[in-house]
Order: sequence, then C-alpha cells, then structure tokens
Amino acid sequence: MSVVKRKVILLVALSFAGLLVLSVLSMSSLVFGAKEASLWEVAASLNRLLLFGWPIGNYLPLPSCVDLSLDSILYYSRIPRTIVAVLIGSGLAASGAIMQAIARNPLVDPYISGVSSGAALGAVLSLLTSWFTGVAQMISLPLAAFAGGLTAFTLTFLIYRASGETPLSFVLGGVIVGVAFTSLTTLLIVTSDKELHGVLFWVFGSVAYASWDNVWVLAPIIVSLTLACLLFARDLNVFLLGDEQAVQMGVNVKLFRRGMMVVAALMASSCVAFTGIIGFVGLVVPHIVRLALGSDHRLLLPLSSIFGANLLLAADIIARIAMKPIELPVGVITSFIGVPFFAYLLIRRGKRYGM
Amino acid sequence: MECSLDCESRVTIKVEGLSYRYNSASALDGLTFEVERGELVGLVGPNGSGKTTLLKCLSRVLTPCSGAILLDGRDISKMSLLEVARICASVPSEFSADVNLPVVDAVLLGRHPHVRGVWWEDERDEEVAMRAIERMKISDFARRRLGELSSGEKQRVMLAKALAQEAKVLLVDEPVAYLDIRYQLEIMEILRTLADDGVTVIAAMHQLSLAARYCDKLIVLKKGRIVACGKPEEVICEELIEDVYGVKAFVQKLPSVGLVVIPVATVDGGGVR
Repeated sequence: MSVVKRKVILLVALSFAGLLVLSVLSMSSLVFGAKEASLWEVAASLNRLLLFGWPIGNYLPLPSCVDLSLDSILYYSRIPRTIVAVLIGSGLAASGAIMQAIARNPLVDPYISGVSSGAALGAVLSLLTSWFTGVAQMISLPLAAFAGGLTAFTLTFLIYRASGETPLSFVLGGVIVGVAFTSLTTLLIVTSDKELHGVLFWVFGSVAYASWDNVWVLAPIIVSLTLACLLFARDLNVFLLGDEQAVQMGVNVKLFRRGMMVVAALMASSCVAFTGIIGFVGLVVPHIVRLALGSDHRLLLPLSSIFGANLLLAADIIARIAMKPIELPVGVITSFIGVPFFAYLLIRRGKRYGM
Repeated sequence: MECSLDCESRVTIKVEGLSYRYNSASALDGLTFEVERGELVGLVGPNGSGKTTLLKCLSRVLTPCSGAILLDGRDISKMSLLEVARICASVPSEFSADVNLPVVDAVLLGRHPHVRGVWWEDERDEEVAMRAIERMKISDFARRRLGELSSGEKQRVMLAKALAQEAKVLLVDEPVAYLDIRYQLEIMEILRTLADDGVTVIAAMHQLSLAARYCDKLIVLKKGRIVACGKPEEVICEELIEDVYGVKAFVQKLPSVGLVVIPVATVDGGGVR
C-alpha cells in the first residue's frame, strides 16, 4: 500500500478509536463524583438538560418526585469540568508535541520547559492585582498567563543557548526557570490576603473549579490554535531533518520557530490560567504516539490532541474516585504517570538523544 | 551570436566575488567561478579551507557578506527560500535528524518544496520518492527508522532525499565520507549519471583520486581562496598538493584508472597551518 494512503487510514482509524474512548470517558466523568448516581439517572438528567435547557423548573411542571439536584450538579459542575478537561488535555499534548519539534528535543513539554510555571505566575498576578473583573478578567487572565508563559519559555531558551545547546541543558534550563517562577507564585499567594484557590491548585493543577465561563474562553483558543498548528504540520516535519536542512528545503527557520514558540506557549498558558499547572501530559502523550507511529506531525499533532484529552479526562476521573471522598489534584495523578515515564526516557533513550 | 546565446544558457551557477566571514575570521575570500549545466564539480582542499561554507552559501543556509550567486542568471538572495529549494538540493556531511523518523518519510520530505496540497503528498510525489529509494538501493531498510541506521546508510538516505527533491543543482558535502569502497564507487557513479542527465553537481571531497576520476572540473580551495580551477588532469599535480595540503604525494596517470594520488609524507610549513 502506498505510504501516504497508509497514513491517512491510520489517522482516520486511530482518531475514530480515540474519539470513541473519549466519549466513553466523558460519560464516566459525568457519572463519577461526590454525589452517587447511576448511568441511567445521569442519562435521564442529560436528556432533560438537552431538551429543556437550564434551569428546568421554570419551564416545566415536573412531578415533585423528580429530583433536580443531579441536573444542577451536572450543569454547574460535571459538564463544564469534563469539557475543560478535554480541552486542557488536548491543548497541553499538542503544545508539548510542538515544543518537542521546535526544540528538537523529546524531553520537553510545557511543564519541563518552565512555560506552565511562568503562566501560573502571570495568572496569579492578574488575579491578585484585580484590575479587571467579570468578563474582562476572563480575557485578561489567559493574556497575563500567556505573558508569563512566554517570558519563561524565552528565559529557558536563553539559558539553553548560553549553556551549549545540548538537549539536557534545555531540560535543566527549564527546571531552573520553573523553580524560580513557582517560588514567586507561592510567595505571592502566601503573602496575599486575598482568597485564591491556594498554592496547591496552582502547583498541582485541578479542573474541579471549571465553569462554563472557562469553557467559552478556552474552547476558541484551543480549537483555533490546534487548527493553525495542523496547517503547518508539514513544515514541522522538515524540522526533523535539522535546522540547516529545513532552511535548505525552503522553511524560514527563525521566523517559523518563533511563531510556533508563541503558539505553543499561548496554548499551554491558557490551559494553566484556568486549571493551574498540570504536568507531563505534554510529554507522555506525543512521545507514545511518536514511538508507535513515527514522527510525522500530520499523525502526531491530531492524535496527540485526541489522546491527550483522553489521558487528562481519565486522570481526572481517577483523581475523583481514588481517595473518595477526598478529591486529589489531577496534576498529582499525571505526575504519577509522567515521572516514571520521564525517568524511563532518560535511562533507556538518553544516549540516543545525545545526553 | 548563436554561440554566445548558447554559452549563456549553459551556465547554471555563477559566483562573483563571494566572501564570507565567521565573526572576524574570513572563511571565503572573493571567490569567482562558473559552473555549467550537467557538470560534476569536485570541491577539494584541506579541512577548514571553506568547502562546506561555500556549499552553505550556495544553498542559502549562510548569507554571504559580499558578492553574488546567480542561479540561471537570477540572484539567489532575491529569490524566496522555497524557490531556491525547488532548484537546489543539498546533502550535508553530518546532520542530526530525528531518530524516530522512518526512512521513507525522510525521503518523502524531499518533496516538501514541490507538494501542492496543504497536507499530503500526491501520487506523483510518492512515485518520485520511491524511484529515489530504488536508485540509492535503500529499499531494504526503507521501513526502518533513522536512529537504527549506520552513518553510511544515513548518507544514502539523505542522497535519496535530495534526488526526490528533483533539483537542477545538487550540493553534496563529502558524499563518500562514511562509505566503504564499494559504496564510494556506487555513489560517485550515481553522481556521474546524474550529471550526465543534466543535473549540476557540486561535491566537496577529500578523496583526490576519486574526485579526479569522476569529476569534470575541480575547484581547489586553500584558506578561502581558489588556488586552481579546471580539468582534474590539468589541476592535480605534486606541486599543487604540496602547496595546498602540505603533503608530498605520488601522482600518476595510469592508463586504465586515470589519475592516482597517493599521499606519502607530510611537509613542514605547508598546508593551512
């Protein structure tokens, strides 16, 4: 079979499978939580919500035995939470895939490159200063996070440049920047008299506070940026042969790298702005796809998006039910998955990546 | 009149007063030469004489400090990178490609400047890539990934990539550096056939005997300047090798093989150092 046809079929089949699993996970995400409910009860509630919208009671003379508390929980908490988890998971994974391509380093993701920590600092600063409120804040929050994330990414790149441009120096640069920014964030939150979600939320991330407002801001950002990146998938492929070959194949490397850097930072930062730092999704997912299917970004980017959404949603469900009734921050779960994976990469593949 | 027109159209690459400096160190110093269509040109000279820098200037990876490079009469600094990429393919001597990239994909990447769709290569693209794979005899490991290959195998993959690019000008940096003697000959024969088919090939080389046998023309560089340029048998002689490399060499023209160069001993005070 022709190489290209094989790829198209792989892409379609795996996307379909991934979306199928995603819908099963989404349903589970609606079912699991502090309030016990059966699948049928949830389905009935969903049906009511879809048919009549929210709030239901205003429009419909329902028999008093129908309990609307589940509808309310679904509407205000579990549905936006599920959607945000899907958006964040796919955004972080796509951002990680792009960072790995432009840094030409498989050990990079939004967390390791320090972008997440920078974005968290930006977000916390914006919340503390509270120059903006209401809708303006929903917009200014991701912008502030983006400024922080891009600053962190630039600093990491500068350290990387100055320290010999080895793959490991990028990782170490990111660690340095990450620690610095996280310390600043912690300092700000601890010394502030304002009530924020708390250090734990920002450092280990959580989708527990997700709201419809978050959905309306995140969805257009993540969807449009992912589509934009998909347009450049072929150019990202040329980077796989190295910078000089990329120039020689007609890509304006400097411009392209900067543009992609901004896009990756923007995507990761807007995720962090609403859910805090959730690590390793951007590392694990693209890497597994790459090991299984090779490095073609036309497969890597869309499939990373889909499987990233799956991973984060699954992690969030685990976070909810693992230590019931206590809810764990989802970042703890992704770290439990990501840390051994990172160690494995370093030990088994470190030599091959020239470390 | 007709002759002059003909001569004009035969020139593919024209380099005029090309200079390049790395920070303060001059790497190329006022090079001027012409290469005709379908010529196989060997670029020889010791390490650090500017061969690779010249190739990088020609493929626009480096921007020269002064001078002009004309491709078919057009100044390449005024062309877009993509336009240059459609005319000019390069094969680096060493490169750090992604280890997970399958060989087929690497060769298909050569189609990048030509692909018309946004995403997928069409049937013709794939056909060209497959022909390049067959021609470079790498179909045995076409499904493997670059990280699993030896340097010699990688070099053939990169040559296949350049063939897939269907360029009129092929710039090759040390095409036979990592290859055993059989593959050295095979690669040189492939370059020779390409040149005979009308592709202009410029190859930086260290193997003087091979260069002398296969090339139409040699350009000899020393410290960023051209010291000799012309047909191999006119250029290569014991004095030149001693001057350029600082090496006493045995040079002889054998009836069945052509020019043979055997380095014998180093000479103090010669060479680049």
